[in-house]
Amino acid sequence: MRADYLSLGGALAFVEQHGDEGAPPVLCLHTAGQSGVQWRHVAPALAARGYRVVVPDLPGHGRSEPAPGGPVTDLGTYADWCLALVDRLGLERPAVVGCSIGGKIALDVAVRASDRLAAVVAMAADAHTGGRPSVRGLRRELSDVAAPSRTDRTYLGTLAVVGRDVPRERAELIATMHRREDPAVSTSDLLGWATHDLRDALPGITCPAHLVVGDDDLWLDVARVRAAAASVPGARCTVLAGIGHYPMEEVADFDAVLDGWLTELTAVTA
Amino acid sequence: MDDRWFEDFAVGESWTSPPRPVTAEDLAAFTRVSGDDHPLHAAPDAILQGPFGVAVAMGLLQGLGIHGDAVLGLLDTHWAYRRPVRVGDVLTLEVAIVRARRTSSGDRGVVTRAMALRNERGETVQEGTTAAMIAARSAGPDPVGRAFGTVGWAEALTDKVDLTDDLASWDGTLGLRSGDDEVHVRVYRGRVIEVARRSPRGATFTVGADAATWLELVEAPDNPFMRLAMAGRFTVTGDGYEYLRLTSVLHRLADAAREIA
Repeated sequence: MRADYLSLGGALAFVEQHGDEGAPPVLCLHTAGQSGVQWRHVAPALAARGYRVVVPDLPGHGRSEPAPGGPVTDLGTYADWCLALVDRLGLERPAVVGCSIGGKIALDVAVRASDRLAAVVAMAADAHTGGRPSVRGLRRELSDVAAPSRTDRTYLGTLAVVGRDVPRERAELIATMHRREDPAVSTSDLLGWATHDLRDALPGITCPAHLVVGDDDLWLDVARVRAAAASVPGARCTVLAGIGHYPMEEVADFDAVLDGWLTELTAVTA
Repeated sequence: MDDRWFEDFAVGESWTSPPRPVTAEDLAAFTRVSGDDHPLHAAPDAILQGPFGVAVAMGLLQGLGIHGDAVLGLLDTHWAYRRPVRVGDVLTLEVAIVRARRTSSGDRGVVTRAMALRNERGETVQEGTTAAMIAARSAGPDPVGRAFGTVGWAEALTDKVDLTDDLASWDGTLGLRSGDDEVHVRVYRGRVIEVARRSPRGATFTVGADAATWLELVEAPDNPFMRLAMAGRFTVTGDGYEYLRLTSVLHRLADAAREIA
């Protein structure tokens, strides 16, 4: 693995890369408030399967510097940033894989630049949340009113959306690591999540696409994810039984699962 | 079948009726009894709905579990119509005892059943609760482990969990509500100084749900408090700031509620 601080969008971005530079690139995006550490088990294992795996920390997350304009509330800003990263690293037809806001950002990248992508895998994301969580509530959360016990709520709230089939120890590790967020950044991310509407844009995606949702994911309605998938020409949709909001952290051997999906998606166009 | 007395109903007891198809005769009888010949009920694609829905549910399906000389009377029914019922649907009724509470006279008690009527696709078409007055065999006392929202239950709950450290700096009153049953736990600097129906200055906040949700809380394989709260099944009134502040305390109380249940 190599790690770099790249100057991107006026700030330093922390980016991990695993595997051969000549291998098919995969860009992996994390969830709201979190960082590339969510992909720590998947990235090296996926690289060993013959991919060039690129895992950035989005601006303001993990080891990346804050976005120059303050916490980002528009997922489109992240999508542009991802495309700038693709340019910067010279990635040829990458697959983009993301989860939660990362899934929605991946879809938005595909909306903006399908012709430059090999495939998109969007996990735990739909076209439009219908205003959930409440934008008013999130704005309130940005001020002090809802600040008490923030880390307890992140910990317990994460446990509540991890799937029933995930062993307790793994679930607790996921939830404990999720406490590392900056609440101003994650709440802003969720404002982006609740307001970003891709309903009209999804039919414009032309690269192979796969939408994935866990049936224990309280944040997502399976029917809405199916509807989003149905609006993307030729897209697949998979419902993971016993899995919640964080498939790449919850599913043991997720690298093999993702490799299977990417192989299927790229075979479609071959 | 033997009479079932008040003491014979345990909160959490549940059963499911055998499936029963809805027939054209059911529709005709429904229309006649309800006096309702609105086209909704008379057209070829007619639906059985309206105020007699619960009667339909009870009449169509056996095994309501309340019968015999101990039954003193039906008290109330709260019923919601979620989806239409049509001739040809195959219905199943799920029943659970969610509340059993002796009256102050001591010789009888109120037993509340939560019922869900589901169709062959597993969709809930109608649901609600209904309460009956049942004669008691003895004078009690009754178990408190599932008497959600009562003083006895909250006393058992707070005995089970040591919140001295979690509430070391807290001065306030926790309200816990199940349906219409509410209990106040007065806390000062980590010590529970009173458990009562009502504390003098009221609750700082009250967290509550219907009795069926409390039952789900204590019967789920893992503590589902956060899941239920995030899904809006537990709701809060009063000081939302203090409610959030006590998130982990409420989670631990839910653990204790599961232990004493």
